[in-house]
Amino acid sequence: MAASATDLSQMDLNRHSGLEVYTSNALKLFMEHLNQHPQSKVLDVGPVCQENIRFFANRVWKHYVCDLFIRLDRYIRKGDPVHQIWKELDYDPESFDGILVWELADRLDEQDVNRLVTLCHSMLKPGGLAVVMVMGDQIASSETRSFVVGQNYRIYLRPQPHLELPLRGRQNRDVLSMMAPFIPAKSFICRPGFMEFLFRRE
Amino acid sequence: MLKKSKKTNAEPKVSTSPLSMVDRTIIGDQIYIEGNIRGEEDLLIEGSVKGRIEMKAHHLTVGSKGQVEAEVNAANVTISGKLEGNINATGRVEITKSADFNGEIKAKSISVEDGAYLKAVIELEREPTQKTVPLGKPETKAPSEPAKEPIILAGKDSKGN
Repeated sequence: MAASATDLSQMDLNRHSGLEVYTSNALKLFMEHLNQHPQSKVLDVGPVCQENIRFFANRVWKHYVCDLFIRLDRYIRKGDPVHQIWKELDYDPESFDGILVWELADRLDEQDVNRLVTLCHSMLKPGGLAVVMVMGDQIASSETRSFVVGQNYRIYLRPQPHLELPLRGRQNRDVLSMMAPFIPAKSFICRPGFMEFLFRRE
Repeated sequence: MLKKSKKTNAEPKVSTSPLSMVDRTIIGDQIYIEGNIRGEEDLLIEGSVKGRIEMKAHHLTVGSKGQVEAEVNAANVTISGKLEGNINATGRVEITKSADFNGEIKAKSISVEDGAYLKAVIELEREPTQKTVPLGKPETKAPSEPAKEPIILAGKDSKGN
């Protein structure tokens, strides 16, 4: 028998017990932006988790998922050139009202970050928003975590032990610099060094 | 080879659970099928299938060895192997951590294990509308509260570097 919404919430709560958690103002603003577009399309580049699929699929018209974290992990393990992952982002220009980049940039070198930013800029519609995180020294670790969206925009940082990705440790100014093609819309300090950014395409 | 996993009565049944023990046909890992499949019982694919799969009242499972390139119409779908194509499910789609899926999913509900290799467009049957909590009124029980006001964006980090 399928679990009810209440059952799932309790199950999620149990799964999240003991995880680091915070409330995301950036996500709240992101969703408010999407709510203005009845046929909104959102791209999530991962790490994929079912809570986020459920969250976005219930709030946007079409939810696109392309898990670049797991692709990056596989390319690195095989010794394949990392730049090949960009062929996965083969979406048409101006396809999305929003893109969830999370902390992917922190797992890429400069060249690939530039490619990611260029692609995101191309794939976003004018006025569209991108959510970017930087974890900072206190939270960042080599362990990759998914940003699991819970109720009321609570975000749980769930370890993804199957992913072994490098960490570049970017800071606030690095994010602003790499996202230069975008207009900085808002940023929030979640913890010292741990920040959320919203960038808008002109 | 094609196998029947269990014999029961011949009445058609609607499969609702991934663990359903109703009649099930297995396409073995040495079988390659190109064409359309229609069924009135559950199907497990461990081989290769290319085409269209229609089993609107039943459960399709792509096993860990299965490789499927197909348009799928089923009640429930479980993917542990590779599936490229579009899924239209009246019930639940379950994607396990060993799955490799590329395509569109339209379903009533979905479950995805961490670690699944996924590139998808997902449309779920909408749950009742949820209220948006206004910005500036965060939960009182939150163990960590973000700053209520946006900080000014400048070329310095939080440490002033």
